[in-house]
Amino acid sequence: MTTTEVTQPRLGPVGWARWAWRNLTSMRTALFLLLLLSVGAVPGSIFPQRSIDPGRVADYLAANPTSGRWLDRLGFFDVYSSVWFSAIYLLLVISLIGCIIPRTRLHWHALRSLPPRAPARLERLAAHETAEYAGPPGEVLEAARAWLRSKRYRVHSHDETSVSAESGYLRETGNLVFHVAMCIVIVGVAAGHVFGWRGDVIVTEGQTFASVFPQYDTFRAGTGVDANALPPFTIKLDRLDVKFERVAGGAQFGAPRGFTAYTTTTERPGADAREQIVTVNEPITLGGADVFLLGNGYAPVVTVTDAAGAVLYKGATPFLAQDNFYTSVGAIKVPSASPKQLGFSGFFLPTAEPTYANGPRSTFPDLDNPEIAVSVWEGNLFPGGRPQSVYTLNTAELTEVPRADGKPLAIRLKPGQSYELPGGRGTISFDGVARFAGFSVRTDPGKGLTLIAALLTLGGLVASLIVRRRRVFVRVTEGSTTLVTVGGLAKNADPGLAGFVAELTAALTDRPASAAPAARTETDVT
Amino acid sequence: MTSWATMPSLAAAAASPTMASWSNLALYSAMTVYTIAMLLFAGYLAALGPAAAHEVASAEGSTGAEVKELVAVGAAGGADAAAGRPTSTAGRATAGGADEASPRARKLAGSALSMTWLATALLAVSVILRGLAVMRAPWGNMFEFANAGALAAAVAYLVLARRNRWQWLGIFVVGPVLLTLGLALLAFYTEAAELMPALKSVWLVIHVIVAILAVGLFTVAFALGVVYLLKARQEARAAAGAAGKRTFLDTLPGSASLERAAYGLNMIGFILWTFTLVAGAIWAQKAWGSYWTWDPKEVWTFVVWVVYAAYMHARATAGWEPRKAMWIAIAGFVSIIINFAVVNVFFVGQHSYSGL
Repeated sequence: MTTTEVTQPRLGPVGWARWAWRNLTSMRTALFLLLLLSVGAVPGSIFPQRSIDPGRVADYLAANPTSGRWLDRLGFFDVYSSVWFSAIYLLLVISLIGCIIPRTRLHWHALRSLPPRAPARLERLAAHETAEYAGPPGEVLEAARAWLRSKRYRVHSHDETSVSAESGYLRETGNLVFHVAMCIVIVGVAAGHVFGWRGDVIVTEGQTFASVFPQYDTFRAGTGVDANALPPFTIKLDRLDVKFERVAGGAQFGAPRGFTAYTTTTERPGADAREQIVTVNEPITLGGADVFLLGNGYAPVVTVTDAAGAVLYKGATPFLAQDNFYTSVGAIKVPSASPKQLGFSGFFLPTAEPTYANGPRSTFPDLDNPEIAVSVWEGNLFPGGRPQSVYTLNTAELTEVPRADGKPLAIRLKPGQSYELPGGRGTISFDGVARFAGFSVRTDPGKGLTLIAALLTLGGLVASLIVRRRRVFVRVTEGSTTLVTVGGLAKNADPGLAGFVAELTAALTDRPASAAPAARTETDVT
Repeated sequence: MTSWATMPSLAAAAASPTMASWSNLALYSAMTVYTIAMLLFAGYLAALGPAAAHEVASAEGSTGAEVKELVAVGAAGGADAAAGRPTSTAGRATAGGADEASPRARKLAGSALSMTWLATALLAVSVILRGLAVMRAPWGNMFEFANAGALAAAVAYLVLARRNRWQWLGIFVVGPVLLTLGLALLAFYTEAAELMPALKSVWLVIHVIVAILAVGLFTVAFALGVVYLLKARQEARAAAGAAGKRTFLDTLPGSASLERAAYGLNMIGFILWTFTLVAGAIWAQKAWGSYWTWDPKEVWTFVVWVVYAAYMHARATAGWEPRKAMWIAIAGFVSIIINFAVVNVFFVGQHSYSGL
């Protein structure tokens, strides 16, 4: 504020800070930030996110180069780590802390203070009852104290003729626990991001995977993780059982129904081997890391020999499924072929549709009619020696090998079949099919803390919404009989308060007096 | 390489088509009876209007403001009656307002409620038969979830209507229930079948049943919220002296008590939704290896939670008009609808259980 008008109050830096703090921690701001948070979260469900599926982000950018670039700059493909989303929730956390601290202080005082003195005129309270009792006043007060204590009220008498009681401190305690636990949830999530890691790996039946950093197909770790000190467990995939829907029609036909990986594992190389089963929803724990079965597919076993019959390549090569019926694509790279390196690129079809009317396509995900369909390439497989995907050929320095008659060559093989490549380039044979399992190995040291905090938010929430904060007062006036007045006060809407006051009144007056000061009058107690 | 030729078949749990077709038959019957119930509820509300007009005419000379006061007192009486302690001042205006209605209206309301009970029983039979057809919890895809959610909403309404005499709310619940069932049959129908592996978990029961209960309560609260907004507008007009044509709104409890009732249901719904969120995260950790990945379904569950949290805060904030807070709750319910009908069908994510 640079205005020089005398009527305007001038705020120094401290004043401004106080003003900003007061505004930030106001309920109005919290409410606004909450609504902003809900709106801000939405784009992440509409646009593909790099953290979930970088491939789809790349596809989106390729399809929408102009708008995509701008969306990318504005963080729409990394919404939950974007500056603006972080700003919203960080401001919300600051606002939250600014709310929690003073309320904790207040609640701390409330917890240690006595219930307040009974108001002079209890009939003015929202809920009140009056009744008469034949016994002495002291007896009523004593009964009131006992009854209220049994209902877990905090009870105190400020004078000889009244009892003050208060309950429902748990409401505010729950409220504070909820909000503090929300902050702890964020701490737990952050701890997971910093100290957690995840690696994904494809393991073919019969193969053994050793958990060291270079062995993972993809690996992501927080800044607090030493990737060279991963738990050195091993996992051998003995067999993968799969089951797909054969009965139901429509979109359900071919849907997955069961995946079970039978494995042999060791905690570290040389340790005792154990047979363990990994299924969806039932991960195993190895060396402190959780191993999940998250993917599966087929790895056709292919042998490539040269013209003299020497084996150049033999092995199971994973092909990646592209659709629900596991039409899979992949590449077989034979760098040892000479004079030129050989590459095969194409499809694996677990249940081949025989006509190829719409191109190579599978019609069921299980191995009912397996077939591979590949084209042949020769030249330099690894131009520039750069790293490349194992599932595709980089054809920059490759040329496609045609048939002897010059037409495009597409080799279709069923298990057991082989094909002699034109021009004395050797033979490719399709020996059979192995399955592969996609394992995901993850550790999240923050998850325990997050879980505890999440359960605390739940408990705190229930307490803060269900528990009723009530103050109840009882006053006695001595006369021919004892006049008992009960009043109740609630901090929030409390439909049960009137009933409670009536119940207390009845409990105090509808009992026989032990020492009657006078004969009980016939006054109708209502 | 171990043999890939010998593939032992996993224990088969084929669905029973007969049972599933009976379930569908029960569903069609439920929809027919719900339609009748809806028409009866509509007739009831229409019959309430003239009755109210008659009552006001008999109390000649009362201004709009006085009418409002009368209704508000009736509301207070309702709250007290709920606490088991009717006060003398509120004696003549009753809790639900139904007793002010003509005998014809009362009869309509009675038949409408009976029909709703019958339809809900048929719907329950349909859901149970579906469960028996597939031998698992009958909420494994969108079709099944829609039916179970509609059942939860209908049961919640019937229980609350019995306790609070909310006959006037019927059409606002039965209407959406019928719409949901129709949409389930037309757009989401899925053959009875086994589940995909990720859904085979005890958490399907825990996480989803609580979500269904939450949605049921949110639905009734949403209906109450809409009625509240109508009522509050009518009261504001009456207070301004612009008394319009008498409608059923004049016989309802006061807006303050409607607002409290909606808040109570939203509150329980919010607690259940929080549980849904936490249980879902625990399940996600087991099934997908990470308790939170900002999957579209997670995002929208979170959005719903935050919007209802905003509603709870708005209501607790002094100086916020209750009507504005109620609009936030309605936005929350719209988010629930989006979370179900849009996210499952159009957004790509791991929660691909729609069966479509």
